[in-house]
Amino acid sequence: MSDSTWRNPLYLWDVEGAEEAIPANPHRDPQEVWTKTRQSKTPMLPVGRLRYYYKWPGHGGALWSRLRYWPTRRRVLEIRGEYNPKTLRREKTIVDKRPIWWALGLFAFMLGPLVMPGAYQNTLLAAGATFSIYAAINLCWMLILGTAGIYSLASYAVVGAAAFGVSWLSINLGLPWWLLPFAGAVIGLVFGVIIAIPAIRLDGFYYALLTIGLNELCRVYTLQSKQFGSSTGGLYGADTYIPQDWSSFDQSLLAYYACFVVLLLALALYRIVDGRRLGRILKMAPEKREAFAEATGVDYRRARVWVFVISSVGLGFIGGFYAAHYRGVSFSIFGFDTVLLGLAMLVIGGIGRAEGAVVGTAIVIFLDKVMISTGPLRLVLIGAIMLGVVLFLKGGLFGVKAQFRSWRDKKKSERRSMRSEKGGEMLPEEATETKNKDLLYWRRYDKMQRDFLKTLVTQEIIEEHRKQPLGQHSEPLERLLLYFRRAPQGDKYAITVVEPFKAYRIVAMSGQRGVAPRIVEDKIYASQNEAYHGVFMRRIQDLLES
Amino acid sequence: MTDIGFIATNAIVLACIYGTLAIGLSITWSSVGLINLAYGFIFALSGYGAWLAAQYVSTNGVLVLCAGVLTGAVGGVLVCALAFIPIHDKPNFTVRGLIATLAISLIGTQTLLWAFGPRSKNLPEIFGFWKINLGGVVLTSDKIGNVAVSIMVVTAVLLWMRSSRRGLEIRAMMMNPHAAAIVGIGVRKTGFYVMSITGGLAGLAAVLLSQTYYISPFGGLAPMIKGVSIALCGGLGSVRGAVIAAMVLGLNEALTSRLLGGQYVLITQFALIIVILLIRPRGIAGILDRAREA
Amino acid sequence: MTAASAAPRPEKREILKVQGLSAGYGPMRVIHDLDLTVYSGERVGLVGLNGHGKSTLFYAIAGLTGWQRGSIRLNGAEVGGTRSQGPGRYTHLVVRRGLALIPQGDEIFHGLTVEEHLDSGAFTPRAWKERKPRKDRVLAIFPPLVKLLKTPVGRLSGGERRMVSIGRGLMADASLFLVDEPSLGLAPKIGKSVMEALMSVELGDSAMVIAEQNVALLEGRVERIIGMHVGKLKGEASVAMGFQTRREI
Repeated sequence: MSDSTWRNPLYLWDVEGAEEAIPANPHRDPQEVWTKTRQSKTPMLPVGRLRYYYKWPGHGGALWSRLRYWPTRRRVLEIRGEYNPKTLRREKTIVDKRPIWWALGLFAFMLGPLVMPGAYQNTLLAAGATFSIYAAINLCWMLILGTAGIYSLASYAVVGAAAFGVSWLSINLGLPWWLLPFAGAVIGLVFGVIIAIPAIRLDGFYYALLTIGLNELCRVYTLQSKQFGSSTGGLYGADTYIPQDWSSFDQSLLAYYACFVVLLLALALYRIVDGRRLGRILKMAPEKREAFAEATGVDYRRARVWVFVISSVGLGFIGGFYAAHYRGVSFSIFGFDTVLLGLAMLVIGGIGRAEGAVVGTAIVIFLDKVMISTGPLRLVLIGAIMLGVVLFLKGGLFGVKAQFRSWRDKKKSERRSMRSEKGGEMLPEEATETKNKDLLYWRRYDKMQRDFLKTLVTQEIIEEHRKQPLGQHSEPLERLLLYFRRAPQGDKYAITVVEPFKAYRIVAMSGQRGVAPRIVEDKIYASQNEAYHGVFMRRIQDLLES
Repeated sequence: MTDIGFIATNAIVLACIYGTLAIGLSITWSSVGLINLAYGFIFALSGYGAWLAAQYVSTNGVLVLCAGVLTGAVGGVLVCALAFIPIHDKPNFTVRGLIATLAISLIGTQTLLWAFGPRSKNLPEIFGFWKINLGGVVLTSDKIGNVAVSIMVVTAVLLWMRSSRRGLEIRAMMMNPHAAAIVGIGVRKTGFYVMSITGGLAGLAAVLLSQTYYISPFGGLAPMIKGVSIALCGGLGSVRGAVIAAMVLGLNEALTSRLLGGQYVLITQFALIIVILLIRPRGIAGILDRAREA
Repeated sequence: MTAASAAPRPEKREILKVQGLSAGYGPMRVIHDLDLTVYSGERVGLVGLNGHGKSTLFYAIAGLTGWQRGSIRLNGAEVGGTRSQGPGRYTHLVVRRGLALIPQGDEIFHGLTVEEHLDSGAFTPRAWKERKPRKDRVLAIFPPLVKLLKTPVGRLSGGERRMVSIGRGLMADASLFLVDEPSLGLAPKIGKSVMEALMSVELGDSAMVIAEQNVALLEGRVERIIGMHVGKLKGEASVAMGFQTRREI
């Protein structure tokens, strides 16, 4: 009890009404509120954000910027060189690290056969070859689906048509294997022009449905015609590039690397189309924004026909290679499930980027080949992954990073809005609009001060003030009264005399010169001290409510 | 003469069934904005539902039909819950919805294959065995039943959509989902209505078509493609267009198989669709009413 | 808010009570910690420049913003709360509690006829039962629509569309009408007549908030005018005060 008692120093001088000791609050340190506010309650949230890049030391940006891809003027690595303004040292930053990952990945794929375990070697080599072919097809498809934003589902139909065509040519006319991809490219060209024509006029989804129909048309047509081997389940017997007198391991190895070369060619095609003028034009005119693109002078129709023709030639080439690789082709390439699996590869990886197509293909081929013993269940699994990716991810696996960033930003803005307490400090948006920047700090300080003063309001304090509104007070009461007295003139309470020594009433100042105070309440106080206490109570109430 | 009559009646029957499918697809697209490529799966699923009912409960025609329609509705609700509810207000909904329905179709058909095996099943004749000879053209019971039931149900659905409060709800959501929310239409609830109705239509078509064809896990694909082509040709979202397109394509099918031979049906059909779409990118509906394009 | 301006009218019911509302889209925050109370039977004007959050305030009340936080009580029932996704997911429930939002621009159903359009405004089960007398009432306010009842809305002119849009809002059995920029994009004369029509609606127990950039259109016709500036309410003026004062808001 000793620490919550206040001894009146004026008692010794016999001041009127002074008591020796009265109960008061235990001491509270104002520093506590300050520390608490600074520590946890107000996280110093950054308004914008900078991305962190590793800073490589030294010069050498010049060397990197001299090295360029041959036909283009593009640098090998996008490197930014600058002087650190603080240390004044030269620094360089790799802005885009994707080429490094690509090089490492492709190099690892090339070295893959060296580390394959002996027992699975044949399976893995075959799976690798299949992966390369499908990845190449998907890259060409991605040019239409991602770069041009046209929902064409007929890419496998183009591959299949080319493969059937060249198989038939090879069987009946004896075309050698090295001509097959080129013959396939010609067939692809014809097919590409045919499917490009509706793409100029049709909206995305009409076109998607139409191409599904075309796919089915191809399947039914080949299934019914005798020339294309409706009885054997496919057309087999085409010339192949794999020498038959080699050992089976050498054959698989050759197939693996041949397919890898096709994959590299497809990557180069993707890079050339997507990264250069045609790709830019196509990305400027996505679905539903064609009118705007046209108004800015982009001939998107021609660009779309071009991308169709180019990718169809590529698909036809791959189709020819496919026939030369598998020595023929089966009807399943036109199947709805093939299209679905292909789409699953693209969707899982992320539409619109080369790494999405390749990695998605790798995942799906892996699931498909490894779990082949489980039968239909593996397709269910692939479908479930596809569904999950579509439902939860905006841009496939490679969009996770961007999606996470935007989610984090959203959460951050939510947290910021949660921080807006009534009478609290200013929010960042508001702060930028305020002319007087001192006000920001004043508000923050005032808030903390009020938080502290709220803790001082107790029954003892009120009782002390009721007994003696004027004169020397205990420390907490003095703090409260000092704060109240310092309030600005507007809406400040005052006492007006209705009848001297008999009736007093509380008013509030207008804060403006020449405008009379307004009456706050009807209550009449009998003495000045009672009125003082009434004002005090009103202020306490305002403080606690703020 | 009887040959032409036979082909013509066949074409009408098929047009009615495929028209039912196309109208279902069309309503789905226009009111919830989803291209339901899992429609083939719903079709196959309701076929199996009807088959189970016929196998274990009763072979009464009405009951089998109801079982098919109900399973279809359940399938529609399932697709709605998986592909519409989680992503309908997220960016890129149309594309993601399309891919999600494709994924559902992949999962669903493989599950059906796994559960029922690849052997196809057939349903009992729900309309009995009787025939009428109408001026040299023999009309069997299943043909008359198919045409009558599909036209009746589709007309009922259309009338209901035109006059009732729920119909107004669905049509309002077709045109402007944002404004629909403002007048107090719950988008998710309406989505369930729409998908169960269209699923029911698919179930109806499945039972009717299985009078002629067998039920198999992948059997839904071909009817879906037919339905899609009719919906495309008629213009997505237009019921009138779908009806006209069903008649045009049915006629085309009958004529082609008579004049050129059965294997050219798909080719002429797609040539016709491409020509129509090249002239009118929004199908026949684009010719019918201009207000939608505004 | 000063104590004087917020003096409650005890005989009036609180239709809408917004407390501490913040709302925005993604990382952008448009409404800052806003308080607003609307009493029954009053017309309130909400003025402010473009991009200062008038429409967003309305959208936040209807639950159509990207995210929002804070209490919104409509007829005493809490319809606000914290929400960080799914704009429009619960709007129909808010509407069922008695909100009629007349949005900015043409949020109309192109293919429906004017009549169906008006019916759709009375979509809530309660309003649907008595949609005929309501329709007559709306047609009395907008006589030009009588001739157009069977016309698809997609064919109407801008002014007629706005009438249909407002008429649809007035069809609802609502206790709070939020009208967003009724004169936007219309010729001044038509804008004035649309405003006349809004003023001629008998509110009864309900209330109406009209967002408008043109103060002159509202002057002398509404009970209160509230200014809005960067997502906050800035002062309030009753009609008794001179126009000059209001210009300074």
